[in-house]
Parts: sequence; structure tokens; C-alpha cells
Amino acid sequence: MNLNRYSLLVKRQTRPADPLPPCRRRELVGGNEAMAIPMACAIEMIHTMSLIHDDLPCMDNDDLRRGKPTNHKAFGEDTAVLAGDALISLAFEHVAAKTRNVDPHRVLQAIVELGLAVGSEGLVAGQINRRLMQMREKVSLEELEYIHVHKTSKLLEAAVVCGAIIGGGDGIEVERLRKFARCIGLLFQVVDDILDVTKSSEELGKTAGKDLASDKATYPRLMGLERAKEFAGELAAKAVEELRHFDALRVVPLYHLADYIASRQN
Amino acid sequence: MAFSTVIMSSPHAYIPKTASSPTIRRRVRCSSASVSTQFDLRTYWTALIKEIDQKLDDAVPVLYPQRIYEAMRYSLLAKGAKRAPPVMCVAACELFGGDRAAAFPTACALEMVHAASLVHDDLPCMDDSQSRRGQPSNHTVFGVDMAILAGDALFPLGFRHIVTNTPTNLVPESRLLRVITEIARAVGSTGMAAGQFLDLDDGTPNAVDFVQEKKFGEMGRCSAVCGGLLGGASDGEIQRLRNYGQAVGILYQLVDDILEAKTETDNKKGKSYVSVYGVEKAMEVAEDLRAQAKKELDGLEKYGDKVLPLYHFVDYAVDRGFNVGEQFI
Repeated sequence: MNLNRYSLLVKRQTRPADPLPPCRRRELVGGNEAMAIPMACAIEMIHTMSLIHDDLPCMDNDDLRRGKPTNHKAFGEDTAVLAGDALISLAFEHVAAKTRNVDPHRVLQAIVELGLAVGSEGLVAGQINRRLMQMREKVSLEELEYIHVHKTSKLLEAAVVCGAIIGGGDGIEVERLRKFARCIGLLFQVVDDILDVTKSSEELGKTAGKDLASDKATYPRLMGLERAKEFAGELAAKAVEELRHFDALRVVPLYHLADYIASRQN
Repeated sequence: MAFSTVIMSSPHAYIPKTASSPTIRRRVRCSSASVSTQFDLRTYWTALIKEIDQKLDDAVPVLYPQRIYEAMRYSLLAKGAKRAPPVMCVAACELFGGDRAAAFPTACALEMVHAASLVHDDLPCMDDSQSRRGQPSNHTVFGVDMAILAGDALFPLGFRHIVTNTPTNLVPESRLLRVITEIARAVGSTGMAAGQFLDLDDGTPNAVDFVQEKKFGEMGRCSAVCGGLLGGASDGEIQRLRNYGQAVGILYQLVDDILEAKTETDNKKGKSYVSVYGVEKAMEVAEDLRAQAKKELDGLEKYGDKVLPLYHFVDYAVDRGFNVGEQFI
């Protein structure tokens, strides 16, 4: 379907980096990149699906995404809903059918993780709470964190954890990487909030200033811009702390990923 | 002919095939001898509905945030659901000597993805349906955004459910991966989503055939194949189930369309085979499909009586000889 490809292939600068985490996780725990590619693609499909559905008129009603008109603007609402649905299934199909040289048991475990990240305990929960919070006057920091953990962190966590599982990581290694991912996931969102306050639409590639205009709860709004920047620094440090337990050379890509997320400009 | 009885009667009437008993006598064709065997599909099916409903209820407890779970449960546990995919899945599994405990998680997953696609199909931007399975459609109760998210949550839950609940001593893990692949394909861009996409388009008559195959054939095909995979069927046997399932899936919807064409309601959705080709032709096609489906089962005669549930299911799809649960079109 063209509409799937349209959304999948429009990349903003950060996107190519994101499919890497699973691969790197794999290599980190002893696997090779080829084993992780189907999972990496699946994560990207899920992420794209969530963006397509989030942008719909009945949800966030966005006109612009990744520098181009949103999927429903280009193809219509009905097609956008179906494209998202097709992408969810394709993600699971892709992992189940295309993962090679990995014990089926591990592939199945990874599928469970993916399912948790996408559904009512992951992305969906985050989006629901975000919509509920939008209707309220005051949102606490805990509630804001819940939203961001579920909307952003969970998928990144799945990427990292699935990579580790497929790569052959043991329970302890997988949990360390889970913590790493949770930190950089939240970090990603905190930085996003900061950028929305400080940058223009063109630089961002999506509609800027929307948060401020819509009175949405954000980290700068709740804790002040300076404190939000400090918090971002703390998250980055925590993330890196988990990487200390792995081989110094192998961990370099993840280290740079954390650094990139912390210091990106769009 | 049984088929004309279906056309003439009200779709909600109980149509007794024999004097008073709901059991149906059928001659089961075997390669060497004809055997007359009774099989009580209604009891089999009703018992299965009860079990599936219980398992689905357990599978989706209300957690935080409550509203999404309520929306998911609302559609998944609708009283009007006939649970046809689970029937095909469990029957296909048991046909090859499989334990139904192996099939139940997949049967539930089939219902989850089926419910998800129905919730999305009913959306205002799609078919814009006000009701489904005898109750208001999901988005009219929970809102469009919640309905979209409920569907988005039910899809992955199905896959998770299969993995976390299928006993691995009953089903090899490599088979489970094939089951997941099968369901994902059935639902996605080459399957049901494709069907719905074309259904929304103002298609040519040819598109109707494709729509029927994709929207309804896929679910039937998928259910039967998954059951076979779980029961240990060979590749050749899986192919028979594939053909059987597709024929029955399309057949089922065709008969629904024929019955609906006979009601006075304006509630005719999309383009149906009947609206494009007329009732006569639709009836012919239905009989062809009945024959096709049974032909596939004839190739499985070595399994003897175990083929009966699937066999009788074909006849039910055409004749609708009894009420299952609450009947809604």
C-alpha cells in the first residue's frame, strides 16, 4: 500500500537512528545485526502506525508530520485508519516470518514485548491519558511522566529489549537495557518539550508551538525551562550508568544514541 | 430445497429441519461407503461460545486506564457475537487429534482481531455504522478516538495472548510463529484491510468479488488454517483447510447478504454480492461454495467422525437451521 510507504519512508533526521537500537542491542549481547533487522523494521512500522493514528482529526488533528502533510491529509481519514491497522499486523507478521537464525522461543518472547509496548499497557495507554489530561486544568508531574513513559519510552524500551532478547541476552542484561531505554525514552520527550518552546516549525519538521498554544502540560511548563534542561541531563546520566556494565567498545553506539537524543535540535 | 427455505423466511425465525429435534441428519461422504451420522452442531457450538466468552472475559480484565478496557470489552464481549472463527479453529484443531486447550488461546485471539477490525470498520470515516452485533457501535458509546484506540489495543493483545497462553507442551514454538504469521497476514494489507479499503472505494462489480474474498474469506481461511496448524496438520492438509475456510467464510457472508436483502430495512451497508449480481446468482454461488467446501473435507475422510463439526458448519452457513446465541445481522 502506497500510504504505508508514504509514512514509513518520510524520515526526519532522528528516525534512521531509532531502528538501530535493536541491532546494537543484539550486537551488545552477542548477536549479529541480521538477526535484528526484522524486529527493527517492525518497531518502525509500529511507531509509524501510532503517528498516523495520533495525527487523525479525532485525535491530535495534525496537518504536518515529518515535514510533509499527515497521512490522512494526503490519503483521507478512512485510508489512514486502515494504513495504521495494516502496519500493526505487518509488524508482527514481519517479526514472526522473517526473523532468521533465532530460537523460536526468543522470537515469541520478543513478540510478547512488542505486544505490550503497542497496546493498552503501552502506546495506547499513553495516548488515552494524554487526551484525558488535555481536558483537565492541572496535570501533575507523575501524570505527565506516565504519559511520556507510555507514549514514547515503552516503544523504545521494546526496541532495546527485543534486540537484546533476539541477540541472546540473559535476564540481567535485558533488564539493564530496559532501564537504559526507559531513561532515554523519557529524555526524548523532555527534549521534545524543550524544543517546542525554543524552535520554529521549519526547524522541527512538525507544527511548532502547538504545546504552548494548546495549554498542553509539558516539562518546561510544569517545572520551568531551566529545571527541565537539568532533568534531561539527569536522565542522560542515568542511562549511561546502565551501559557501564557492558563491554566498552560494543556499547559505544548506544552511548552516542543517548548523547544524540539529549543534544538534538529537531 | 433447503436454500429456498432460507430465502423465504424471516431471518430471525427458527427454521426446524426435522420435526422437533435440532440435530441434523446428514450423509457424510466417504471414499468407499456412505455413512449416515448424526451430529449436534448446535450443542457443540453453544458450549464453545460459553467457553470462549469466559476466556475472553478473563483475558481482558479492567485495568488502568479503565476506559480503554471498557471499550475493548464492550466490543469483544458483545452478546451478539456468534464466535464462528473459534468454532472453525477448534474444530480444525481437533480434526487432526489436537487438544482443544491448544486451540483456545488462538481462538480468543481470532475474536480479538475480528472485534478490532469491526470496531474500525464501523467508524464514521469508514462504514459509519450505528450498531453492531445488536448493540450501539463502539464509537457511538465511547467516542471515535477511544474506538480507534480500542481497536489498536485489541490487535496486539491477540498476538500476545497466543504466546502467553498456548501450552508449549502441546504446540511446538515454530508452529506458533506460523499461527501468528497467518493471523497477521489475514488482517493486514493483503487481507482484511485490503478488503475494507476496496469496500470503501466506489468499486466496480469485479471489486465486489475481491472484497468478499478479502474481507470474509480471509477470516474463515485463517481460522481453519490456524486450527490445523495447532492440531499438527500436514502442509497438504493445511492447504485443504485454507480452501475450505475461504469458501465457508465467503459463503457465510453471502447468505447473510441474501437474508438481509429479504428484509425491508434500509440498513444495507457497502456493496454486497447480492446488490451487484442479484439474489438468484448469489444463491447459485452459495451452492457452489458449499460443494467446494465439502469437497475439501472429503479429502480428509481418514479422520472419520472428527470431520463432522466442520462438515455441518458448511450446511449451517447455508441453511441456518438453528439459532446460535442471539441472532443479529
